[in-house]
Amino acid sequence: MSPDARNVMVVPCSGIGKTYGTVSREAAYEVTEDLRAESTRLVALSLLVLGDDEARAAVAANPTVTIDGCKLGCAEKMVRESGGRVPRSFAVLDTYRRHRDLKPDGIAELDEGGRRLAHALADEVAAAVDSLTAGDEEVPHA
Amino acid sequence: MPDYLEATVDKFIFRVATDRHYSPEGIWALAEGDRVRVGLTDFVQQRSGDVAFAEVKPVGTVLKAGDEVAVIETIKVNIGVPSPVGGTVAAVNPAMQLSPEAINQDPYGEGWLALIDARDWPTDRDALLDPGAYLELMTGQAEDEATKP
Repeated sequence: MSPDARNVMVVPCSGIGKTYGTVSREAAYEVTEDLRAESTRLVALSLLVLGDDEARAAVAANPTVTIDGCKLGCAEKMVRESGGRVPRSFAVLDTYRRHRDLKPDGIAELDEGGRRLAHALADEVAAAVDSLTAGDEEVPHA
Repeated sequence: MPDYLEATVDKFIFRVATDRHYSPEGIWALAEGDRVRVGLTDFVQQRSGDVAFAEVKPVGTVLKAGDEVAVIETIKVNIGVPSPVGGTVAAVNPAMQLSPEAINQDPYGEGWLALIDARDWPTDRDALLDPGAYLELMTGQAEDEATKP
């Protein structure tokens, strides 16, 4: 994967069947397909786990924002193990603590609280992407 | 730093501190003079998942053994925490306000919930389990969880 204008990689949690994992993926989709489609690219955590050459090259060559569904932090750990750098990592739980009224539920399909939490998280990730594309190497945590 | 008993169930390792007593619900009680510190066991915190919020009854609250001393909200469940001891809440762990993940990170230490002025600790203690008995009970509970479809 050659460097291009979409130079911030976004790697969400791959936890299937977990509400917070779904929130992380919905937020990642919103960032990479809508909010910052021109400057981001989604990389599937499962490809990194499988050692996919293209996915590993993408995170090795570009700054990566990770979104983890739980404190195990699999996305962040896997990007680092793949040779990538993670100037900003997010955890769904941290965003939920800032938005307690948005308790998420649902797995395959999020409820209203989950969708709104994913949107709030996507806004935070988009702000981090803006900082990275502006040249900031370290992005302060919220 | 307490010593621990350990049980391995499936891919999980659960620790039981040897210096305190336990309720069957997985709440520990550690006597410190006339006061008793309480918190969640390693098994309960692992089974329940990452803690989002922990609300502990305020200082001055009078409790009977079995009354709710805290409500814990995790990414999986909401847990009402029954107090293993009767008395008056004398202190609440300030970490519960800003960093309740201490429960997950250090359930037998920094993740304590409340310190209670015990009304009759010897009587309450007799109703609790020693570490070995709790280990056996908890292992059975963990095995039941592991075999759930």
